[in-house]
Amino acid sequence: MEYAADLSFLFTSPTKVVYGAGSSRDVGIELAGLGCKRALVVTDGFLQKTDIVAGVVKSLGASCAGVFSDVPPDSGVQAVNCGAEMGRAQGADSIVSVGGGSVMDTAKGMAILLREGGSLLDYQGFQLLTRRQTPHICIPTTAGTGSEVTYFAVIKDHESRRKLIFGDHHIIPDVAILDPSLTVGLPPVLTAATGLDAFSHGLEALTSAQREPISDALGLHAMRLIRRHLPAAVKNGSDMVARGQMLIAATLAGAAFSNAQVGLLHAIAHTVGARHAVHHGTANAIAMPHVVRFNNDVVADRHRLAAEALGVDVRGLSDEAAGLALAQSISDFVSEVGLPITFREAGVPEEDLAACAELAMSDGAIVYNAKPVLHSAEVLGVLREAWSGT
Amino acid sequence: MGIPFFSDEWISAYKTAINGNPAYKTAAADWTYGVVALICKAQPPFFPGDVGIWLDLDRGVCREAKPVSTGEAMKAPFCITGDYARWKQVLKKELEPIKGMMQGKLKLKGDLPTIVRAVQAAQELVNSAAGMDTKFLDE
Repeated sequence: MEYAADLSFLFTSPTKVVYGAGSSRDVGIELAGLGCKRALVVTDGFLQKTDIVAGVVKSLGASCAGVFSDVPPDSGVQAVNCGAEMGRAQGADSIVSVGGGSVMDTAKGMAILLREGGSLLDYQGFQLLTRRQTPHICIPTTAGTGSEVTYFAVIKDHESRRKLIFGDHHIIPDVAILDPSLTVGLPPVLTAATGLDAFSHGLEALTSAQREPISDALGLHAMRLIRRHLPAAVKNGSDMVARGQMLIAATLAGAAFSNAQVGLLHAIAHTVGARHAVHHGTANAIAMPHVVRFNNDVVADRHRLAAEALGVDVRGLSDEAAGLALAQSISDFVSEVGLPITFREAGVPEEDLAACAELAMSDGAIVYNAKPVLHSAEVLGVLREAWSGT
Repeated sequence: MGIPFFSDEWISAYKTAINGNPAYKTAAADWTYGVVALICKAQPPFFPGDVGIWLDLDRGVCREAKPVSTGEAMKAPFCITGDYARWKQVLKKELEPIKGMMQGKLKLKGDLPTIVRAVQAAQELVNSAAGMDTKFLDE
């Protein structure tokens, strides 16, 4: 495999990454390094009651401007506006987010409002901001979204029942502190779903229409780590080696897709998640083999790379056959970690698939799919296969 | 001898080009989301001041195309902003506009999903402009 002579790409990943068991205790040092003096801690109600947030607050000491813990699982514009109001009232000059994707994305929205003022809906758009936003340190407690290094924030507007996607290089977090000990308490199902989410970021970055060499390397290594260590993390949540590799993999995959983008798979997962509350990682896991088959005639060579990274024996196979072997291997992997393999099992009603397909056509990710998707009937075909498992 | 890029004459000719493009008419038949404004940022000396273009688009037809201030342009439901060099790349079909937005080469104010849904119409708007005899001021 080689890259084209006229290859042209951009790659941005400015986040400082701090890794290590117990590294979350260094958040105070990292905050001082950013030149900040008062950080608002953003988290959810569950985590606030744990030692995790208490440890972060202790490390911040007098630099802690308060804790905003009203971030719901499917966070929205209202939480962002309320959190920003609290930050302003407390004189916060920075944000430390502690939690999963919803918490980190809420904090990204708050970072905009603390710098620019107004309401989040004023900033609907893409790459609209013109300056760095409020300094932001992320401490992920799941290994999946990669939000700690991405330029996206997905925030729900509950009033219009839409997920708003904010994409801007100015909201990429300044520091990501990866402390594997914080992910130990994550239940097996969530470990599996978030892990497959990270896996899907690596795969879609590898095959996207905007793929490039740096994201290729990040995505492939992320997939390798996840295939090897996710089963162990699911089986024994206290396995610190597995937890650590998963956290690293999620960040690698996050940096990959923040640059190369994702495609049809994420368009489907966003839609099914929004309409039927299927966990984003689970939705990605279910649809992934079917999207691989859909794209196989265009990016079979890329699928071969992914299959090799997963340890699938593709010797003697054509690229097309290697791609199909990859799809089967992913199905087996999803089953192995205990997730459902059809949308029917996940509770998606068959009669809503057509509406999901229509909505997926409006998702920004679809623009980057390896194979151009021009008609909702194509998405519906993939959804039907993912629903029935055929 | 082409028409100077983003001049009043170019904007008028662009309206004609859009309405003369049957592929745009088909691709944008469902577009009922209002005005799309474009802003080209100044790049002295050959493009001295910011220029806004107001495109009143409805169901495959450009009802009006006119120059506006950048302040007015920003009031449109959708406003795409870029540097002179980026717009030149778009018109030469070297930069696909929706991908350019995602990469930060162009800035979008407005609802991204609505724009994404209209990707073919957006492409035809570009094709309409690309088919014009444009004089780029740095060439």
